[in-house]
Amino acid sequence: MDMTSNFELMEFFVSMLIVGIGVALLATGLFTSYFGAGKSQKIGFALLFLGAIILTLTYFMAFGGIDAIPTLFDAKEVDGDLKFMNALISGVAALGGMIIGMFAILFVLMKVDTVDDLEDLDLEDLEDLDLDEELKKLEEELNQADDSGEAENNSENSEDEK
Amino acid sequence: MMDIVISMGLVGIMLSMLGMGLLIAYYGSSKTRNVGFLFLIIGVGLAYYLTMEVTPWEEVAFWNGMLAFIGGIIGGIIGIIVFLIAIIKS
Repeated sequence: MDMTSNFELMEFFVSMLIVGIGVALLATGLFTSYFGAGKSQKIGFALLFLGAIILTLTYFMAFGGIDAIPTLFDAKEVDGDLKFMNALISGVAALGGMIIGMFAILFVLMKVDTVDDLEDLDLEDLEDLDLDEELKKLEEELNQADDSGEAENNSENSEDEK
Repeated sequence: MMDIVISMGLVGIMLSMLGMGLLIAYYGSSKTRNVGFLFLIIGVGLAYYLTMEVTPWEEVAFWNGMLAFIGGIIGGIIGIIVFLIAIIKS
């Protein structure tokens, strides 16, 4: 069977590529125009406008309606369905499948008790720590270091005076 | 129509199971790693089912669907890159 004979690159790949760009621009534009401020908000409105134009053009290129815009994504019927609609349904179904798979993975990971990973940590040592004592030790060490530093400075000064 | 929806949906689940299973099996530890291997087995099982039982690989309609899926993903990535460039440059 020659698998390359009936591939519809224009109807399936290019149309979905443009729809993907349009949806992404629309979504990011909505987000930025709502939450953005000042310059970011203006960019958000521009992205929103661009996304809306791209999706509208894609609609007319697929289903026709305006003579000036050619129907590039040929809406020929295949088994009673439009090719463009087949592409859209395929893409949405695969994305839906991926989302279902991700949710299943998250559900299983949340249900599985992964607390035993923490057993590798020696928490008993942490519980035995007396923070006050540790702080006192640190302060003493710092004081000793300061004292030794001062003593060295004094000895250097006395040598200079001589 | 339903054939395409079911086979593409299964492909989506298979891809997420294989991808996430690989990551979890590699980076996970103890119980989490075991769950990652389980996801991998489910993904391989789905791939086997799709190739042996459903046999969509020989159908042009299936590959057209895959083209549409890949096109949609690439389009989404391009759109997000355009958004990022616009925001970073401003």
